[in-house]
Amino acid sequence: MPHEQSMVDGYRFLPPGLAAWIKTFIPEEDFKGEIPFQPLTKPLGNCTVAAVTSAGISLCSDPPFDMDREKREPTWGDPTYRKIPETTAQDAIQVNHLHINPRYILEDINVMLPISHLRDFAGEGVIGKSAPTAYSFYGFQWERTDFLKEAIAPIAEQMRSEAVDAVIMTPA
Amino acid sequence: MGLAARQLEASGFATVVLTPTWEFHRLVGIPRSAAIAYPYGRPLGQVGDREGQRKVLRAALDLLETATAAGSVSHLPEEWPEAPRDTHWHPPEMSPIIEAHLEDIKKAARR
Repeated sequence: MPHEQSMVDGYRFLPPGLAAWIKTFIPEEDFKGEIPFQPLTKPLGNCTVAAVTSAGISLCSDPPFDMDREKREPTWGDPTYRKIPETTAQDAIQVNHLHINPRYILEDINVMLPISHLRDFAGEGVIGKSAPTAYSFYGFQWERTDFLKEAIAPIAEQMRSEAVDAVIMTPA
Repeated sequence: MGLAARQLEASGFATVVLTPTWEFHRLVGIPRSAAIAYPYGRPLGQVGDREGQRKVLRAALDLLETATAAGSVSHLPEEWPEAPRDTHWHPPEMSPIIEAHLEDIKKAARR
């Protein structure tokens, strides 16, 4: 039986001024344009699932996301991405993000990028397989779209090579 | 994240965005959203709460099978145990874009 869902208030955690400002960018009515839609072609239990976040997570062995340029140019956000192997250890990551408190992810990556849960779900048959690679890009892009070419296109290419079917995406 | 989801979806992947602010869907048109009333930076749940995180992830993944139309938004029932002001999700320093728009933000607050 479907039950009545109460709506989430997406502004709940924002200070009132910031919430009011963000609301000036968001229409009151539903989105009217075309939305791409790829239905699952097989049961979730047979699907390979990848995780993607925009939280600015990178391996300590990789270059960090560029915070310095954003501090100089407040409407610029790093358009690149980093690969995070599904077996990445907690102490192998760094988080560089100027719009959230990174400490929680540094304590437990699964609050943001659920790599260990995907592996568990694969073992339990909830999903078919956890993709070998998860990904992070940098969520603050303001009005820029070059990250689609610099980050999302190569992420899609790698996902294809790992036979990914479905993606869990977590904005910071 | 919405634009990234659209591009991945158009590239042949089924996506679900687990988001604290689902309202961005109205701006960009997101294929599937699971809305969660959790603070920014912890959409899966609290540090170390494996069971809670699993429950949220499972609910978000379920939407991949149950959503039948583009633009579906599922509102998850979970509640965060702390009041918003006690969640300390904010960056340690004010973000550059906020600093650059402080006057606009103050103006919006007065409206």
